[in-house]
Amino acid sequence: MSAPPTPDRRFPRWVYRAGAEPDARFSLANERTFLAWARTALALLAGGVALEALDLPVEERLRLAAAVLLVVLGVLTPVLAWLGWARAERAMRRGDPLPAPLGFVVLVTGVAAAGVLVLVGLLLV
Amino acid sequence: MTTPPLPPDVGPRPTGPSPRGTLAAERTALAWRRSALALLAGSVAAGRLLSVPWGPGGWAVTAVGAVLAVVMLHAARRRLTASRLAAPVRARPWSGRRPPRGAAPPPGGRLVTACAATLVLLGGAAVVVVLTWPS
Repeated sequence: MSAPPTPDRRFPRWVYRAGAEPDARFSLANERTFLAWARTALALLAGGVALEALDLPVEERLRLAAAVLLVVLGVLTPVLAWLGWARAERAMRRGDPLPAPLGFVVLVTGVAAAGVLVLVGLLLV
Repeated sequence: MTTPPLPPDVGPRPTGPSPRGTLAAERTALAWRRSALALLAGSVAAGRLLSVPWGPGGWAVTAVGAVLAVVMLHAARRRLTASRLAAPVRARPWSGRRPPRGAAPPPGGRLVTACAATLVLLGGAAVVVVLTWPS
């Protein structure tokens, strides 16, 4: 395949100026992965808000701590998802191995911690 | 760069796009659609909850989310037409040759970025709701 005659103007430049066009299906799979993370972020936000707004019988400070933790994770997740998408797209264009996934440790630890907080808060009431 | 050759059932076929490519594009379109729906639901909920501390101004978040959701639904359709890129004629729209009818170039990261940014905005709204909710 010949090189494109015009420079690639797609965003972000640091992704698309590297390497060559990968198989379209790889880019599609990368997008689906990003979207799965995006929906995870929405679920985290919904969980955090629901904890506070539904007036659940959980000890108040622990409930607030869990809600804030979930919401903070929900803000962090789309950022990590975007970075993960961009790094994977760049690696595929360059023919590099895919980078290790971002954010799994933070996500799992955070959700587990929020669960423990809610559980303890339920038992304290 | 060495890309391993694709197995015969995966690569472009002489008669049309490979089934796997078409199905991948369909899954991607559906993923965009359900994300758009989730985003729409989320931003309506955020607007409703934000209107408690902020009054009608809280619905601005809903407007942002709804606009992006509509754009995402459009993008879903684009992802489907992009499946024609797997078509046997390897003409890419930017290659100078005439692209096959209806084909779109792989669209790049603008929408992905907009999606992430809107989620961060919704996250900010959620922080406000959680911290200001009367308990």
